[in-house]
Amino acid sequence: MKKWMKSLTAVMVAVSLIGGASSAVEAKSNLKGNIVINGSSALLPFTLQAASEFKKENPKVKISASAAGSITGPQSVRKGIADIGAVDWDASKNVPGFNKFDGLVANPVAVTVFTAVANPNVGVNSLTTKQLQDIFSGKVTNWKEVGGSDAKIVVVNRKFGSGTRVNFQQKALDGKEFMNKGDNYKEVGSSGDMKTTIETTPNAIGYIDLPYVTSKMKALSINGVAPTEKNVLNGSYKVWGIGYYMTKGQPTGATKAFIEYIQSSKFQNGSLKKLKFIPLSAVK
Amino acid sequence: MIDMNPSTNSKAPAELGQSFGKTSGSKFDRKARLRWSNQLFRMICIGSALFVCLVLLCILVLMLRTGVLTFSNVSLTEFFFSTNWDPENEHYGALTFILGTLALTSLTMLISIPISVIIAVFLAEMTPKWLRNLLRPVLDLLVGIPSVVYGFLGLTLLIPWLRNLSGHDLADGLLAASIVLTIMVLPTISRISDDAISAVPNKYRDAAYALGANRFQTVFRVVLPAARSGIMYAVILGMARAIGETMAVVMVIGNTAQLPNSLFTPTAVLTSNIVMQISSVEFDSTWNYGLYMMGFILLAISLLMIVAVRILQKKGGRYS
Repeated sequence: MKKWMKSLTAVMVAVSLIGGASSAVEAKSNLKGNIVINGSSALLPFTLQAASEFKKENPKVKISASAAGSITGPQSVRKGIADIGAVDWDASKNVPGFNKFDGLVANPVAVTVFTAVANPNVGVNSLTTKQLQDIFSGKVTNWKEVGGSDAKIVVVNRKFGSGTRVNFQQKALDGKEFMNKGDNYKEVGSSGDMKTTIETTPNAIGYIDLPYVTSKMKALSINGVAPTEKNVLNGSYKVWGIGYYMTKGQPTGATKAFIEYIQSSKFQNGSLKKLKFIPLSAVK
Repeated sequence: MIDMNPSTNSKAPAELGQSFGKTSGSKFDRKARLRWSNQLFRMICIGSALFVCLVLLCILVLMLRTGVLTFSNVSLTEFFFSTNWDPENEHYGALTFILGTLALTSLTMLISIPISVIIAVFLAEMTPKWLRNLLRPVLDLLVGIPSVVYGFLGLTLLIPWLRNLSGHDLADGLLAASIVLTIMVLPTISRISDDAISAVPNKYRDAAYALGANRFQTVFRVVLPAARSGIMYAVILGMARAIGETMAVVMVIGNTAQLPNSLFTPTAVLTSNIVMQISSVEFDSTWNYGLYMMGFILLAISLLMIVAVRILQKKGGRYS
């Protein structure tokens, strides 16, 4: 009886000491908080990079970022699960297929370039808009019909709610519908899954944003134009979009500081550019 | 001498009946305390049992109540008998997923039960002791491996291998998923079956050998029937894990809402479809309600399967 009383008191003293100590440090540190980020997996590479840099400067701020497709972002912000919802379109406005999210503020953070990608064993390097439409609607099913070798095309699609899917459909396929059935058709949940699937599946075609393109897959040119930063800036490559961080009302505290850090020219022209995103200022 | 007895009796109050028989007059004496603590413990036990039932009931009611809202926009026949799941264009047929879950679970059990029972027989009946002591912990460790690891291995190793083997361009589908699930449930089923077989008394084996049975006959005619209820229990646990498994399945099933025409065609099951879509749908939409309904169906299927196995077990029990 007395023993546990003693240990309890000890614990309470310890807790109050730690609490006192931390509140003393808190007075010195200007920023403290917890930021939960969910949403677009296309934007995840720079979100993670920014989070690790930001945490170094503000050790009191905790950031946890995950991604399950763009639409999850604004939805988890609205439900109060996340502070920031990363999304590949402006979710405060109506876009085809998705209603606007009232009460959420869109903070632009980066320009994302999307590209059609194929497994390296595919002999095709460039496709026209019409050919892409035919492939992704299931009309063309063999690579030889678009100038490749005689092999069935494996179409890998992102699931409904993906911002990459929305952007690719609007800008690369001119709004044409995707197929949704077939022996050689599958859907994946995130950009990371798309990357793994394209890398490991012969004859596969899919689409992804530039930061995910590796040497184990090949980025296809559209109408002869390669998906590069230069071609986006000179206006010849159209398949790109602005990525947004959605917040409930105007951002405050640590969330505001984090978004400002990403929007700062230091991050935009440094790490962001290195990851193959394009700084916001470059396209405006 | 005779008058010693009452005094010795009164000096042994530790006997329950004795101490209960008398009260010392104070309100909080031993008798009252005992009764009070007994009552309290009983209430805690009953409360815990009720709590578990309440949780189950709450889950069932919540899933059903939200799920039923589906049917204000979708007819029962469309939901249960149509294979057209295309919520973007208002088609809500969930038959593909229901059949998919049933097919996947049966296929998994079909592959895993024989293998794991053979493993269990090997472990319990034939292995030398040192190997058994090595293998049992290994199987226990296998149970603890997170499912996402199995899914990842399935995606990166199994699927390319199946692709080469079958000649299909995309080998995602029921076979890949059931192989991954089989590997996942094997340790569970074989370890518990192993315990059940080991628990069969040695006199059964001795009697069988004495009657002239060989080892094969002893194992399959005497030991396995005697261990039947334990093996059934193992199967229930394995099946429950297979039905509800999500992460490993979602990585290898292909996630396409279509009835597969082969074991290598991408398809979807209840769990994989729910986890792929639940985060992407609006809260107050038929689509969301449909997913809740699918969750309820999943729950109902697993409960029904468990009940069915229990009934089978009772029937089988009569012969053993």
